[in-house]
Amino acid sequence: MITPFSYLGLLRLVLPQAIVVIAALCALSVDLMFLRMSETRLRCSVGAIISLAGCAAAIVWIFHAPQSANVLDGMLVLNHLAQRIQIALLVLTMLTILIFIGSTFTQHVSEYLALILLATVSMMFLVSTQNLLLIFLSLELLSLSLYILTAFNKRSIQSVESALKYFLFGGISAAFLLFGFSILYGWSNSTNIVSIANSIHGPSLDPLLIVAIVMTVIGLGFKVAAVPFHFWAPDVYQGAPAPSAAFIASGSKLAGFFIFYQVMVIGLAGAEGSSSWHAYASGWVPVIAIVAALSMVLGNLVAILQTSVRRLLAYSAIAHSGYMLLGILSHTNQSLHALLYYAITYALTVSGAFAVVALVEEETGGDTLSHFAGLSRRAPVPSFCMLIFLLSLAGIPPLAGFFGKFYLFSSVLTSAEGTLSLLWLVVLALAMSAVSLYYYLKVLKFIYVTDPPTEIAPMRISALRQVVLCLIALSVVLLGCAPDLLLHWL
Amino acid sequence: MIWIVRNLWLIPALPALAAGLSALAKQRNRRFAASLAIGSMGLSFLLSLFAFAHALHVSGQGKQVIQVFNFPWLQYGGEWLKLGWMLDPLTSVMLVMVTFVGLLIFIYSTGYMAHDENFTRFFCFLSLFAAAMLGVVISNSLLLLFMCWELVGLTSYLLIGFWYHKPAAAAAAKKAFITTRIGDLAFLIGMVWLYSQAGTLLFYDQGTGCLERSALMGLVAQTTCIGMAASTGIALLIFAGAVGKSGQVPLHVWLPDAMEGPTPVSALIHAATMVAAGVFLIARVYPLMAAHGGTSLAISSTTALQVVTWIGAITAVFAALIAVAQDDIKRILAYSTVSQLGYMMMGLGVGGVAVGMFHLITHAFFKSLLFLGAGSVIHGCHEEQDIRRMGGLKKFMPITFATYATGMLALSGFPLFFSGFWSKDAILHAAQIWTISRVPFYLGTLGALLTAFYMTRQIYYVFLGESRLSDRHNMPHTKAVDHPEHSAPATPHESPVSMTVPLMILAGCAILLGFIGTPAWPWFDSFLSGQQATFNITGFLEGGILPVMLSSTVIVFVGLGLGWWLYGRKPIASADGPDALEQLQPQVFHLLRNKFYVDEFYQATFIRCNTWLSHLSDWFDRRIWNGAVWTVSYVVLGLSWLARSTDNYLVNPGFDEGCHTVTVGAKFLVRLQNGRTQNYLRLVGIAFAVLVVFLIWSGVR
Repeated sequence: MITPFSYLGLLRLVLPQAIVVIAALCALSVDLMFLRMSETRLRCSVGAIISLAGCAAAIVWIFHAPQSANVLDGMLVLNHLAQRIQIALLVLTMLTILIFIGSTFTQHVSEYLALILLATVSMMFLVSTQNLLLIFLSLELLSLSLYILTAFNKRSIQSVESALKYFLFGGISAAFLLFGFSILYGWSNSTNIVSIANSIHGPSLDPLLIVAIVMTVIGLGFKVAAVPFHFWAPDVYQGAPAPSAAFIASGSKLAGFFIFYQVMVIGLAGAEGSSSWHAYASGWVPVIAIVAALSMVLGNLVAILQTSVRRLLAYSAIAHSGYMLLGILSHTNQSLHALLYYAITYALTVSGAFAVVALVEEETGGDTLSHFAGLSRRAPVPSFCMLIFLLSLAGIPPLAGFFGKFYLFSSVLTSAEGTLSLLWLVVLALAMSAVSLYYYLKVLKFIYVTDPPTEIAPMRISALRQVVLCLIALSVVLLGCAPDLLLHWL
Repeated sequence: MIWIVRNLWLIPALPALAAGLSALAKQRNRRFAASLAIGSMGLSFLLSLFAFAHALHVSGQGKQVIQVFNFPWLQYGGEWLKLGWMLDPLTSVMLVMVTFVGLLIFIYSTGYMAHDENFTRFFCFLSLFAAAMLGVVISNSLLLLFMCWELVGLTSYLLIGFWYHKPAAAAAAKKAFITTRIGDLAFLIGMVWLYSQAGTLLFYDQGTGCLERSALMGLVAQTTCIGMAASTGIALLIFAGAVGKSGQVPLHVWLPDAMEGPTPVSALIHAATMVAAGVFLIARVYPLMAAHGGTSLAISSTTALQVVTWIGAITAVFAALIAVAQDDIKRILAYSTVSQLGYMMMGLGVGGVAVGMFHLITHAFFKSLLFLGAGSVIHGCHEEQDIRRMGGLKKFMPITFATYATGMLALSGFPLFFSGFWSKDAILHAAQIWTISRVPFYLGTLGALLTAFYMTRQIYYVFLGESRLSDRHNMPHTKAVDHPEHSAPATPHESPVSMTVPLMILAGCAILLGFIGTPAWPWFDSFLSGQQATFNITGFLEGGILPVMLSSTVIVFVGLGLGWWLYGRKPIASADGPDALEQLQPQVFHLLRNKFYVDEFYQATFIRCNTWLSHLSDWFDRRIWNGAVWTVSYVVLGLSWLARSTDNYLVNPGFDEGCHTVTVGAKFLVRLQNGRTQNYLRLVGIAFAVLVVFLIWSGVR
C-alpha cells in the first residue's frame, strides 16, 4: 500500500539526481544557444565543465546532507551504502567526461554529455530503489542512453552496427526481465522486493518461480555481460567510442552488480538453494554458479586469442563479471563489501585502460596489438599507467586488483553455505586468473618489448589526459596498498 | 644513583680504549703506546680509589652495600637480556688491587721490555688483558662475566705466546688456552643450566637476581636425576671453570708452562689477574655455592663448598711438593702460585669469602713482588733462569735481594710482620674449626712447611753463596746462546729504576697489608660483610686462634730450618752437582722434579686417547661420511637426470598439449561469436530453456 508523500520532501530526497539533470539541460542549452558557431574544442570544454560541476555539486550535496529514507513502497530507498555507491558512480562519470575531453569523433558534444549525465541519473535511481517497477524503468533509461552513446560515432560503421546489436540484444533481455518481473508480481502481488521475498516459502520451488528466477538472471546478466548473455559485449566494446566503452565497462557495471545483488539477495531471499557439492539445492545460487563458471572460463579463454585490445578488454570484462558473480553467490555482508570493492576498483582500472586505448587509437588509428608495439618509447607515462592497470586486472600485488580478488575469494570461502563448500568455484577462479595473466602480459609485451614497426615519434598527449591517467593509476596503487580506505568508506 | 656506580664501566673501558688505540699505532710508537697504557691504567686506578672510597662510605653508613646498574642489552622473542655492573666491597677491593698491581707491572714492563721490537703490541695486549680482568670484576651478570672471562683467556693466550718464535712459548700458549677451555666448557654448561632454572643471569636485580634469595630457594628445591640439588650441580660446573682458570688440580698443568711468556706477563697472570679470576668467581657466586635448604644464614658446609675445600687443600700440598724440586726460578714461583691458589680455594671453602679473598689480596702483592724480583734477577743475569747457575747475587743486586727476601718471608708466612702470615693463618684457623674434617687443616699445615722450605732453598740458590754464573756454558740447553752479545761471563748488575721502584712499593705493601686483617682488628672481613670493624686485642684469645698461630709459627720455622740445614750449612759448590735433597732421597726427588708425572700421565691417557679418536674420526670422515656424501651426490645427480628427462619428454609435451587444448577450446568458443545477432538471441533462448529445465530437474530429484 502506497502511503502519500509530499513532492517537496521527495524532491529533497532526489536532489542529487535533479542537480545532474539540470546540469545536463544546462550543458545542452548553453551549447545550443550560445556556442553554435564556436569551434568544437571550446564547446567540448564548456560542456564538460558544466557537467563536471553538476556531478561535483551532486557529490557535495550527498556528502552535505546524507539521507536515510524508504518511501513509496520501496520506490526510493536511501541509506548510507546506496549514497556511497551514488558518489562512486558520479566519480566514474566524471572520469568518463575527463576522458571524453579532446575526443574528435563527434560534433554533437553537448548531446553526448547530456546522455552521459542522463545515464548517470538512471544509475543513481537504480541503486536507490527496491521496487521492481523503478528498477525496470531505470534500467531501460540506462540502456537506451547507452545504446545511443554506443552509436554516437556516426562516421564509423562499426559503431552503428554494434549499437544495433546492443539494442536488439538489450530489447530481448528487457523482455525477459519484464516477463520475469511480471511473474514475480503475479506471484507476490507486490512490486516491492522485500514483500516478494516474504511471499516465498518452502524448501522446494514452484516451476513458475524458477522460470521467473531464470528470466531475471537473464535480464540482469545481460547488464553485467555474463556468459551466455554476453554476446553484445565484444562488439560494443570494440565499436563504441572509447568514452562510451569506458562508461559501459565501469559505471554501468557497478550499478548493474549492485542491483543484481539487491534483487537476488533481498528479493529472492528464501529461494537461494545451494551450489556446494555435498548439499545441492535448487534455487538462484546454482544458476549464478553456472553463469559465473561459464563466464570465467569463456571470458579468459577467448581473451587469449584476441588481437584487438578492446575485444580483449571485453572478454576480460566478461571474466571479471564471472569473479564478481561469486560475490553475489556467497551473499553475505562481507561478500557484498568485497564485491563493491572489486567493482569500484575494477571500474577505475578499466576506465584508465580505455583512456590509454583511446590515446593509442587517436595516434595510430587502430586498437590491435600491433598498434601498441613500442608504445613505451613513444609515450612512457601512459605506457606505465597501462602497466599498472593491466597488472591490477591480472591481480598482482600490491595493486588494487590483487586485494579485490583476495577479499572476494576469501569472502566466498567463508560464505553462509559453510566453509570451503564453494572451494571448487574459487579453485576455478584462481586457475582462470593464472590464464588471464597470459593475455595481459601479451599486451604489455607489445608495449614494452616489441619494436615499433615504423619510425617512431613521441606522441603528443595533452597534459590533462596525462594527469587524469596518473591520477587513476595512483588511486589503483593507493587502494591496493591501503584497501581499508575504501572498505571503511563504504 | 651515585655517579661512580653509573659510570663504573669507565674503569675497564679506559684500558680497552688504550688497547684499541695502541693496536692502531705503528710499531715504532713505543712511547705513545706505553704512556697510553700507563695513563689509562692510572686513571682507572684513580677511579677505582674513588669507587673504593664510595664503597667504604656506604658500608660505613650500614646501608645496602651492593649497588647495581643494569641495562637491557638485546631482545629475543618477548624477553630482554640484561647486562649490568655492580659495586660492592668485594668489587671495590679487587678493582683497587688489580689497577694498582697492574699499574706497577706496566711501569716495570717499560724497563723489562725496553729492547723488545714488539713493544707496542705488548702494551696493547697488556691493556686489553687488564681491561678484561676489570670487566670480570665489575660484572653484575654471569654472561658479561663470562664474556670478559673469555677475553681474559684470549689475551692470556696472546701474552703467553708473545715470543711465538720460541716453540716452547707457542706450545705453552696453546696448552694454557686449551686446558682452560675444558673448564670453560663446564662453566658455560653451568651458566646455561642456571639460566634455564633461574631465568636470569643477573647476580643482583632488586630481589630477582640469580644470587638472591628467591632464585636460590628455587634452585635448592630443584633436584636432579642423581638426587643432587640443582644449585649444587650448577655450582660445581661453575667451579670447574674456576679450576681451569685458577690452575687447580687436575687442570693445573698449563700454569707452570705459561712461564714461557715475558716475566711481567707472568706477574700479571699469576698475581693480579687471570688466576685470581677463578677465585674471584667463586667469591662472587658464593651465595650459590653456600645455598642450602635451611633458613639460617650462618655459613654451613654444602657439598659444593666441600668439593672446593678438598680440591684446594690437595692442590696446596701437591703443588708445594713439586715446587721443592724445580730448578727454574719462575717455575718454582709458578708452582708456589698453584699452591697458594689452593689455599685460597680452601679458604673460601672453609671460611667464606673474606678468608679466601684476604689471602688473594695479600698474595697478589707479594707474588707480583716475587715475580718482578725474579724478572729483575733474570734481567740482571742476562736471561738466565736456572737457579743452579746463579748464586751470590746479594752483593750485585742489593735492592732486588732485599725486596725478594721480603716477598719470600711474606709467602712463607713469617710471623707477625708479614702479610702472608695473617692471611694464611686465617685460612688455617678456619680449617681447624671446620666441622667436616680435620684433614684439610693438616694438609694446609704441611703445605705451609713445604712453602717455607722451598722458598729458603730458592734464596740460598739464588742470592747466597758463591756466583756460579760462569758455569753456564757447560749447560747444553742454556738460553744465552741466542744472545751472543751477552755470551761473555759478564757480572750481574742491578736493574734500572723503573724496575726497582715498583719492587720497593710492592715490598712495602707485602708487609703493611697484613695489618688490615689481623684477628685483633678484622677490618677486611667486616668491610666485605658490610659491618663496622672494632679494634679488640682480645681477638687473639678467642676461638683457639692463638694455638693455631703458635703452631704455624713453629711450622714456618721448621721449614726455614730444614732449608738452612739442607742448603745453607755448606755452600752449593757447583752448578752441575746433585741437589742436597737428591742426595738424601733420590727417588722422591725425581718424582717431584718430574711433577708427579702428571704431564706424562695426561700424555699417555687423555692425549693418546684424543689422538686415537682423531685418527678414528679421520677414518670415518674419509671412508664413511665421504662415501655417504658421494652416494648422496650421485643420487641427486641421478634424480636430476630423471627430472630433466621427465621434463623433456613428459611435462613439456604435456604442457604444450594442454596449451594447445586451451587454444583449441578458445577457437571453438570464438566461433560462437560469429557476429549474427539472430544466433546470439537463439543462444540466449537455449540458455533460458536449459537453465529452467536443469533447475526444475535438479529440484525434483
